[in-house]
Order: sequence, then structure tokens, then C-alpha cells
Amino acid sequence: MSEPVTVYAHPEALVSTEWLAAQLSDGAGDFRLVESNEDILLYDTGHIPGAVHIDWRADLQDELIRDYISPEAFAAVCAKNGITPETTVIFYGDKSNWWACYALWAFRLFGHTRVKILNGGRDKWTQEGRPLTKEKPKFPATNYPVPARRHDAEIRAFFDDTLAHSQAKKPLVDVRSPEEFSGEKTHMPEYPQEGVLRGGHIPGAKSVPWKKAVNADGTFKTAGELAEIYTQGCGLRAGEDIIAYCRIGERSSHTWFVLTYLLGYEQVRNYDGSWTEWGNRVRAPIER
Amino acid sequence: MYPNGVTYPAKLQAIIDLFVSLPEEEKRENLIAYAEQAGKHEPKPGETFELEDVRKDEECTDTVGVYLHVTPERRVSFKVTLGEKVQTLTKSMASILCRGLDGCFLEEILDLPSDFVPQIVGGHLVRIRSQTVYYVLTRMKTACKIYRDRLRAEV
Repeated sequence: MSEPVTVYAHPEALVSTEWLAAQLSDGAGDFRLVESNEDILLYDTGHIPGAVHIDWRADLQDELIRDYISPEAFAAVCAKNGITPETTVIFYGDKSNWWACYALWAFRLFGHTRVKILNGGRDKWTQEGRPLTKEKPKFPATNYPVPARRHDAEIRAFFDDTLAHSQAKKPLVDVRSPEEFSGEKTHMPEYPQEGVLRGGHIPGAKSVPWKKAVNADGTFKTAGELAEIYTQGCGLRAGEDIIAYCRIGERSSHTWFVLTYLLGYEQVRNYDGSWTEWGNRVRAPIER
Repeated sequence: MYPNGVTYPAKLQAIIDLFVSLPEEEKRENLIAYAEQAGKHEPKPGETFELEDVRKDEECTDTVGVYLHVTPERRVSFKVTLGEKVQTLTKSMASILCRGLDGCFLEEILDLPSDFVPQIVGGHLVRIRSQTVYYVLTRMKTACKIYRDRLRAEV
């Protein structure tokens, strides 16, 4: 029997609101704070002092092809926001950090490994009555070198990878709501239907909604609780090749972060094409 | 009037004209200013409506309530309630539409094309958040349609 999990595999990947507040008041922060939200105007209504805004869609995705930006464009985003390869980037945002995790994962695609999440995100910060400002910080532009490649193969799964994974009966985690998993709905409850033609899930996928990983205040559950959900509950084993997916890859980024950084699984990929690709793909097999 | 050679309701047209004249950054600032004024369009205590449509989201967005008042002359006005976590752009559009559509005839709302939305919000925001920008307009038009259908059923 393996030892019970009591600590996060990479506790350094999380910072608390208390820690951040102390850093900001001391002016000691040697990091770049990045806000990434679903709500496109939320940053402009007020943000944590010193935070820059990186939008998951406008800044990190290619506008013409359903893909991420090029290494050149990523270097430009970093340069514009005063980020160097040595900069520790702390992400936070709305919706329990969905988009913060998504942005973090995208940074990892380009090989930027100095990344952290503000535990509890924007909601916890504001609920604690901590300050927000509308003042947009200006940092001197850096010369971020263009990454040699994107690390798609390590942390990103494409349709063909996921199909092969499903056929090989390897672990697939569907992090959507139970209604989406069952095919009753093709989108999040009460959320706009974004053009998915078939409902259901990828054959062999297990349903572990992302929400199970967080407490009511948006912070991550303890290592023991997470292990109970994913290791004991879902049966994910160390060393396994795991793929997580949702609808467009944002909620599965959150689960990818949990599995990779908090539980220490070493081969986790996010299938960002997710259900909006699978549910529309001609002849893609579906289970209900 | 609609749809070709469109003439929007006067109050809405004034808002469109303002936004069209603004550069992107000021457009965003004005959208936020409208969002911050959304509370002014909440129903007042004791106010009654011909139709109330309040829906609560389970997971992602928050509650949005649309309250429709129709005069005997079939002129409409809207009030809205917006949960704390409703997206800023939704709050902006709710505020803009409450103001811009105030006093329109019921049929004007039903026939109103949605092509003014990108003029207000800007093509960039529409492209990257298309699911958000039309939400409140759709809800208001739905409320009008339900009300009209109810009237027809009573005849």
C-alpha cells in the first residue's frame, strides 16, 4: 500500500493571497503578476496592483488558425509585459483560476517553467477586501528570446493522440459537468451552446468535474483530498500517460495543473481541442 | 425602418454614434462606465412589470433578471438585475440597452436587428467574446416575444 499523500508535489507552484499582499506591501516582489480572465473587461474594472493583463484568446491564440500563437508572437507578448525567461510569472483570474491555469499551461507550451498560481484567484483576493487598482503598470520592454519550439508533444494532446489514447484504453479524464459527460447537454449548464453537434464523452473517459478539486473559496483542496479524488477515486497511477479534456480546454487546464503540480503526475496532457472538436468531428466515436 | 436602411431607436442611435466615434481604449472605458451604472436599472421596490424573466446559472455565469414594462400604447421599458459575477460586458450591454431601448414600441424591439452590437462593442471584442455581447439583447427580445405571444393567446 502506498503512503498517504499529505503534501502537494510542487507546493512552490502556489502562492497565497496573504503572501502576495505582503510582497506587494514590501515592494519586494521579484515576479510578474498576470491576470487572465473569462470576463474580458474585468481587468479594466480593477486588478491587483502591479498586475498586467494577458487574455487567453486575444494574446495567446492565433486569430486565424485554431492554435496557439507562434514562438515569435509569444516572445513579443512577454517582451511587452516586461517578462524575461528568468521571470517568475504568477497567474490569477476569475472563475476559480480557469483561465489563469490556461495561460500558465500556454506559457509552459513555450517552455516558460517559472510559473505559479495565486491560490483562490481574483475572487479570494477581493473577498478578503484586498486592494484593486485601475492603474495599468508599465514595465520596461524586455528582449525575450524567441523560444526554439513549442512543447506541444509534452503537455498537449491533439485529436489523433486522444483517439489513440482512447483506443488503447489509457486514462482519459473528462472534467466537464456531469450533464455534459452524459450527453444531456453539449455545453456548460446555462452557458451558450457553442456549436457542438453531438453530446456525450470520449469512449473510456472517466468523469471527474474540475470543480471537485476546489473548495468553496476557489482554493485547491488539500493534497490528501485531491489524491482521494484522482488517485483512489479515478484510479490514476503514477507514471501513467494521462489526457484531460473539457469543452475548449480551459477547465481541463485547471485539472492539468492539479494533476501535474499538486499531485505530481509526470505525463499529463491537455486536449485543448476538447469537446468542441470531438463532438463535431465526423465519425469520432462517442459514448453516452 | 429595419433592416435595410436601418434607423435605430433615437436613444440607441445616440449611444451607437458615441461609441463609433471612440478609439478602442476609450470604447472600453465607456463600456466599463456603463457597466458601473447597471445598478441604476434595477427594479425599484414596489415596481410592477408585465413580465419578469429571472434565470440563475448553475456553474458559469450568474443570475440575470429581465423585467419588462409595457404601457397601454405598447411602449416598453426594461429593468435588469445582475448577479455579482455576471460578466462586465453583459453588465455594459444591459445598461446600454435599458437606456437605448427605453420608450420603444414592442414591435421595434422584436424587429431590432443585432448588427448594432459590434458598432458599440467593437469588432475585436465581438470576435473574442461573441457569446457574451448578444446575451442581454437576446433575453430582452425573448421577453418581448413571450409577452406578445401571451397577448395573442388572450385574444
